[in-house]
Amino acid sequence: MMQAIKLKAKEYKSGVKPIWCPGCGHFSVLNAITKAMAGLGIDKDNTVLVSGIGCSSRLPAYVDSYGFHGVHGRGLAIAQGLKVARPDLTVMALGGDGDGFSIGGNHFIHACRRNVNMTYIAMDNEVYGMTKGQASPTTPMDWDHSKLTPHGPGVRPFKPAALALAAGAPWIARAYSGNPNQMAKLIAEAVAHPGFSFLHVMSQCITFCPEQTDWKAIVDERAEPALSDADEAARLFLHESGFQTGLLYCEQRPTWPPAGAAIVDQDALAGLAASFRV
Amino acid sequence: MIQQHLSIAITGAGGAGVISCGELLLQAWAREGGRGLLRKAYGPQIRGGESAALLKLTDDECYTAASRYDLVVALDWDNFSRFEDEIQLGPNSWVICDETDVLPESVQAAQSRVVCLPFAELASSCHPEGRINMLALGALGRVLGLPTASMVELAASKLSGKPQAYRDAAAACIEHGAAQALACDVQVPPTGANGACYMSGNQAAGLGALEAGVRFVAAYPITPASDVLEWMAGGLEQVGGQLLQAEDELAAINMTIGAAFGGVPAFTATSGPGLALMTESIGLAVASETPVTILNVMRGGPSTGIPTKSEQSDLNIALNGLHGDAPHLVLAPLDIADCVFTTGWAVQLAQQLQTAAIVLSDQFIGQSTAIVSEPRRCAGTASALAVPAEGDYLRYKLTSSGVSTLASPGDADHRFTADGLEHNEKGTPSARHSDHQQQLAKRQGKLDVFDFGDDWAEVSGDGPLGLVCFGSSSAAVKEAAGILAQRGVDTRVISLRLLAPLQTQALGAALETCSELVVVEQNHGAQLFHYLKGHVNFSQSVHSYAMAGPVPLGPEAIAMAVTEVTSP
Amino acid sequence: MSMTGTDAGSELASFLAHSLELEAEARERYGELAESMAGHRNQPVADFFRRMATEAEHHLQEVAELAVGMALPELKAWEFDWPEAEAPETSSYEALHYRMSLRQAMQLALENECAAERYYRSFASASDDPDTVRVATGFADEELQHAAELERMMADLPEQAALLREEDDEPHMPE
Repeated sequence: MMQAIKLKAKEYKSGVKPIWCPGCGHFSVLNAITKAMAGLGIDKDNTVLVSGIGCSSRLPAYVDSYGFHGVHGRGLAIAQGLKVARPDLTVMALGGDGDGFSIGGNHFIHACRRNVNMTYIAMDNEVYGMTKGQASPTTPMDWDHSKLTPHGPGVRPFKPAALALAAGAPWIARAYSGNPNQMAKLIAEAVAHPGFSFLHVMSQCITFCPEQTDWKAIVDERAEPALSDADEAARLFLHESGFQTGLLYCEQRPTWPPAGAAIVDQDALAGLAASFRV
Repeated sequence: MIQQHLSIAITGAGGAGVISCGELLLQAWAREGGRGLLRKAYGPQIRGGESAALLKLTDDECYTAASRYDLVVALDWDNFSRFEDEIQLGPNSWVICDETDVLPESVQAAQSRVVCLPFAELASSCHPEGRINMLALGALGRVLGLPTASMVELAASKLSGKPQAYRDAAAACIEHGAAQALACDVQVPPTGANGACYMSGNQAAGLGALEAGVRFVAAYPITPASDVLEWMAGGLEQVGGQLLQAEDELAAINMTIGAAFGGVPAFTATSGPGLALMTESIGLAVASETPVTILNVMRGGPSTGIPTKSEQSDLNIALNGLHGDAPHLVLAPLDIADCVFTTGWAVQLAQQLQTAAIVLSDQFIGQSTAIVSEPRRCAGTASALAVPAEGDYLRYKLTSSGVSTLASPGDADHRFTADGLEHNEKGTPSARHSDHQQQLAKRQGKLDVFDFGDDWAEVSGDGPLGLVCFGSSSAAVKEAAGILAQRGVDTRVISLRLLAPLQTQALGAALETCSELVVVEQNHGAQLFHYLKGHVNFSQSVHSYAMAGPVPLGPEAIAMAVTEVTSP
Repeated sequence: MSMTGTDAGSELASFLAHSLELEAEARERYGELAESMAGHRNQPVADFFRRMATEAEHHLQEVAELAVGMALPELKAWEFDWPEAEAPETSSYEALHYRMSLRQAMQLALENECAAERYYRSFASASDDPDTVRVATGFADEELQHAAELERMMADLPEQAALLREEDDEPHMPE
């Protein structure tokens, strides 16, 4: 039951100053999240932001809600456990491309599959920023600015949207840090959509990938409505530039756990103990 | 008082139903007020392999593995050699089998008395679907003086999902078996009080957790802990909790942390390899002061080790497996019934002290079933400290007890972000020297200052020779103490239930009257021995008896080793 | 110059709602950029952005006074109709660099003023409502003045070093 809460976006900020480099795309995501929360009239006390490790994972501390800054790659697991135990809460998981698609990759695909009602915002800057610029699973093959892979990773990057589709996510959207207002709208829709909503945000890293300022030239807001056919979506995700923005795929899938009338038997515990008696 | 017992082994292969036979026999015995333990041994096949039901019927509840079997019922001899380590025979043993001319070498060498019972013939003669295990059940039941009707009823209940003909055959075979008078003469232990419970350690642990308030479990299957999770899945549904099957142990522990952060007492269960995976995040629970309980049902290690056998070799990782200085709770139930108490206690302590509790049970108590008197429960529930009404909420406020108030999502105006990063009182990440020292001291201090009471160990006996052990080795050590007493050597047995924080003062007091100590444990590296030596300034000489699995600790072997090691 | 009696659906109400949002976004954005620059120890740019935030606050108050007694439409952040992705006077977060010069910061602010002027001007020329045209034109003229001031300030700045953005030290790894 949502009470009518009228706060401005800035009132959802905690006041803790972000440590991100000036020029970082994540400022936009923070901006968009707070605008989405204001737009939805969300209750701060019933909202939890969960993250892993990385620059983007610092975000929960900057929002005035409950938060959990977990260990590298495991934010989605924490978020799902929390949501299943406390279905009354609004739960958002956040993290970067390294956190979510490398070490957290297994949890990402299972979260898409499990379809717990929550939102996952992956801030993709195609690099491990916090640990000084190594290639990540979404880094282009020939990006040779990391000392770890001085000739470029030489390995094809993932397409996170395609992965999410294959794993079963019912709601897949993309945003760009250059357009926080569109992102805010998408976040609001993500939160409202029942099930695992995956928002893939292209969010530039000014320090390790200054070339990403060129992204604004290739970002393309998709005009067509969201696809609901997985075949078509698969074709789209495998062939698009990776910079199409908007709600790209949306279907209705039963969420987990299934909403059932949980009849709690007051004597159940005593009954369980009694079941052992000879 | 030396325990009176009757040890029965039932072996067979190819789907003979040996385990069912053993279970039904023990259950029928329980109905008459009997006491006893059932262990199971298997070949590597998933079905149809060789298996053994190893029963020990006793007159008390000190349950150790049998060192020598009084009665072996071999439904067939296929690969019996697999069980030679465990099923020791002697000239006083009785062997019941179908054919007497194909005895395995070990059986012949033992010169046991052999009785022939043509199982197959008898079974098929009483019903076209007749099965030999039910026939054996009937025959054994007669030896124990069990009412046939009781066995028939229990079998019907167990086979309620099977076709009618199957069930009719079972009943017929039990009755036919009970009509056979086996020419073997064994001493049946006296029965005790009725109203006992029949449970495995894994089930007992699950019950303890639920009774202590656990309402969220994250599960990833692993031998020998899957039973805990499976039992809890059913239990949780009834009490209105949730079980989430995770994709791996890394997810399981983090889901547990997430639920706990949400204010719901949370739990997971695993074994050694899974615990190893979980260690990073158990540290997260400690650093963020999020209460979680992890049951580790120990098995043969290291690495994949011996998954279906018991050992006590995860003590090191439980105590020291978290990186950084991450003090937490480690407990070990002493026997099957104690799994209820100790797991419940661990959950309560974890909640109260806002930390991680690792409970070390093992395959021996986890997967054995026993008849136990109503298990002791952990009294009371932990009352959370009241969250302060107003002011800037300090989640990690320094207090005299070291425990801060704990807000949960939904609590108005107490928003905070939990963090694995070191933090100040407010919870903001901090790299300051003072914050780190203070928070380290807080997380250690809250365990040091807490009064754990008398349940840290079970102490029995008054002798000058101290025998120290932990967890499930308690029963074998107590039995060894009995053997030593008979030889005129008096001992004091200290079975540790709370391993961390180590109650050094109480331990010192308990050992004051001992002039010599032997630390007994079921692992190769003498892990408990070295742990105690590292933390306690012993005035006595301390010896070690450390014997790894897969065979359960033998009281005789312990007594002998103790004698050797303490002789001048 | 009171506008009472105008309903929320009117063109003027919509215009004022957009103007309020424009100035509020500008104030918030300049404030964030100022904090971010201060946190990265670029004090001259931080101070400049702080002044711009204060300016935006003044303008916000002016617009708010104009709107007293009016019922304005309550729009969510994404429901505003802007010519570009964000409100005109909102510098993109990504246009920053921690070692940017004062000149570069002023250039950003100048672009904002010009964008705002264009926005108000186009509103004025597209509107039929005399009140809206009057107010929008007034705002557009103000923005032109601000732009001119900035250009004057920029002219007074010393020449900037060519490789200002370079730094000897490698990036640091906090976690």
